[in-house]
Amino acid sequence: MMFYELNDQQKAFRERVRQIYEKIVRPIIDEYERKESFPTFLFRRFGEEHLLCLRCPKEYGGPGLDKISECISMEELNRIGAGIGAGVMVHGGLATDPILRFGSEELKQTYLPPAVRGEKIGAFALTEPNAGSDASSLRTLALRVEGGYRLNGSKTFITNGTICDFVTVAAYTHPEKRGTGINLFVVNREDQGFSVIKKLRKLGNHTADTAELAFDDCFVPKERMIGEQECGGLGQLEETLKSGRITYGARSTGVAQAAFEATLSYVKEVKRQGERLQKSQAIRFVLAEMAMFIEVMRYTTYRGAWLFDRGLATMKDASVVKLFCTETLQKIVMKAVEIQKEAGLRMDNPIQRYFRDARLFKIPEGTSEIQHLIISRELGI
Amino acid sequence: MEFELSEEQKDIQKAAEEFARGEFDPDLALELDQKGIFPERMWRKATQLGFIGIHYPEEVGGQGLGLLENTLVIEAFCRVDSGIGSALSLADLGSDLILKFGSKNQMERFLPPIIKGEKQLTVAFGEMEDDQDLSVVSTMAERREKDYLVRGLKRYVLNVSLADMFIILCKESEEQWLPLIVEKDGEKTEIYPVEKMGLRMISSGDLHLRGVQVPHENRLGEKGQEMEVFQYYHRVKSLRFLAQALGLMEGAFELALKYSNQREQFGRRLSQFQVIKHKLAEMQVGIEVSRCLTYRAAVELEKREMDPNLLFVAQIEVGRKMAWVVDEALQIFGGYGYMAEEGIERFYRDAWTIRSQLGTEEELRDLLSERKLGKRG
Repeated sequence: MMFYELNDQQKAFRERVRQIYEKIVRPIIDEYERKESFPTFLFRRFGEEHLLCLRCPKEYGGPGLDKISECISMEELNRIGAGIGAGVMVHGGLATDPILRFGSEELKQTYLPPAVRGEKIGAFALTEPNAGSDASSLRTLALRVEGGYRLNGSKTFITNGTICDFVTVAAYTHPEKRGTGINLFVVNREDQGFSVIKKLRKLGNHTADTAELAFDDCFVPKERMIGEQECGGLGQLEETLKSGRITYGARSTGVAQAAFEATLSYVKEVKRQGERLQKSQAIRFVLAEMAMFIEVMRYTTYRGAWLFDRGLATMKDASVVKLFCTETLQKIVMKAVEIQKEAGLRMDNPIQRYFRDARLFKIPEGTSEIQHLIISRELGI
Repeated sequence: MEFELSEEQKDIQKAAEEFARGEFDPDLALELDQKGIFPERMWRKATQLGFIGIHYPEEVGGQGLGLLENTLVIEAFCRVDSGIGSALSLADLGSDLILKFGSKNQMERFLPPIIKGEKQLTVAFGEMEDDQDLSVVSTMAERREKDYLVRGLKRYVLNVSLADMFIILCKESEEQWLPLIVEKDGEKTEIYPVEKMGLRMISSGDLHLRGVQVPHENRLGEKGQEMEVFQYYHRVKSLRFLAQALGLMEGAFELALKYSNQREQFGRRLSQFQVIKHKLAEMQVGIEVSRCLTYRAAVELEKREMDPNLLFVAQIEVGRKMAWVVDEALQIFGGYGYMAEEGIERFYRDAWTIRSQLGTEEELRDLLSERKLGKRG
């Protein structure tokens, strides 16, 4: 059986999430973009609507949906606000995925139900000042002590950093085993030795809360290590990132869709040299190409999600989704902003926001260069 | 055909760069950009040192040099900081029109205060985001005995907040265009700045002309020269933005080069990876091509007759190259590139703001093909 079309349930889900995001997020996005802060009350609102941690099964309070549904939801949310999309994606993906998939029953019971309800906000801390693309060069250490571990190190570019209640942290339990000696731990906000150093300002995704974190002799009981084996973190990280990279396809499609819709209405409305822009053949070709790209982005993402749902997705599949969609998105937003000339750069015109937001996507969860490396490696060359 | 800068030109280049490196503080630039403040102190210093108006004749206080020299100064400024450099290069936008079409009286009245750093000048032709589009211009000037009474709305006016003088294009009648130099006049020249994504140190926004009185002697150029004024403005404006684009590209390249030599991942410096080396190589291709096109445009524009196609080609290609260079430069910085503190994200925003002034590829291709094929081609 091959994937061709969303089933009725997935189609109905799309309708529902679109309406909810239009109703709840659209009216507040500009205000929070300006303030450069995440509207934290949204977590509870989304929780009420069962729109957080979509793949979390019913036994932990989640809706137990598939990856395709998660992608649908992410596309629709990013279509309105990528910064908010970032926070929700990290919460329902990177932060809680390792707990859901590799955590003990106790960890699941403790962290998943409040995360699903949006009462506790999750973050994910892998990147460090000196470990970006090269995750194996992490310096954060988890030293084994009685009853648990002591974490020392610093993390950067952490989404939900200042607003999180818990953070899933990658650290070396065995630094002598480069790359493989890593484990994931769940750190609570109130844990001694954990602190948020500063919030970071950035080009786009202004609603996303991005921060630097520090762990200073932060004690974490052994029950909060994810998985039972020391050195088991690398595989967990890879599985988590595989899922996240597919989500980036959905994020990209959402922002592309927003930019496309804005461009379409602009060319219908605006006259240049006395003639409607939509009459220009060159502009019509540009719009046609945008429409084509978005179609391919969306179905490439669905294919990745479909494979993921069946346990068939390889890292190459995920990297293909991320690389293709994030790079293609740039072409769309660049053309969209160019067409509107100076009007496109006004801060009250969302097209420049889509443009700034989109630029991020080529960087996190493996830059475009890293995706090339992964794909080429899997080609056996 | 000579293809090298003279010793004097190289000295100017060096002096401008030294000035910029000494004066343009990156932390201050970050703050000015964020708050949208014009770099006033640096502008005054640049005027005192003769960098502003370097191509004005000596009679009005300039250095008597040409458009290429002005291009070199803008390029050097923007290489050090795209935001400050662009702001300084736009504070006298329109002076080229007074230089070319102005009467002796106008030159003596309007140019010396600019050179001295006392006043700023800008151009307000457009009435929508496409300032090439004359079909939308509805600003009218009513001719009276001693003056014109002007009413209208000019939009996307650069430096709208600080300009003391605006060169506008309006209509005296349905058929008669009229370029005028309008001096700021309280509520009769009301301004509404609009916040924008890049080049935030230079304002942009609406200029409401609410019955402002403009003396007859403020008409710019002879009767019959109106379209020449309009075209020449687009040429000199494009040249300034090309110079900014060129400098910005060089600056972004330098930042990326430096970072790639410092940053280590996988036990190697980024600059040791082939893919990064090639990105840096391709950036040099973009810069060299852009420099050739920009300098040539400056030299040609200095001449009386120029083939405007040369400018359109430059606008398309430099815009494209700049977009590519600044994008790859940001990418080399990875996550840091996206953060405000590193500065490259500002270059990124500025680049696309400069690009919007160079025009869309589609309209430039229209203009290019029109000249070869005719309008109905």
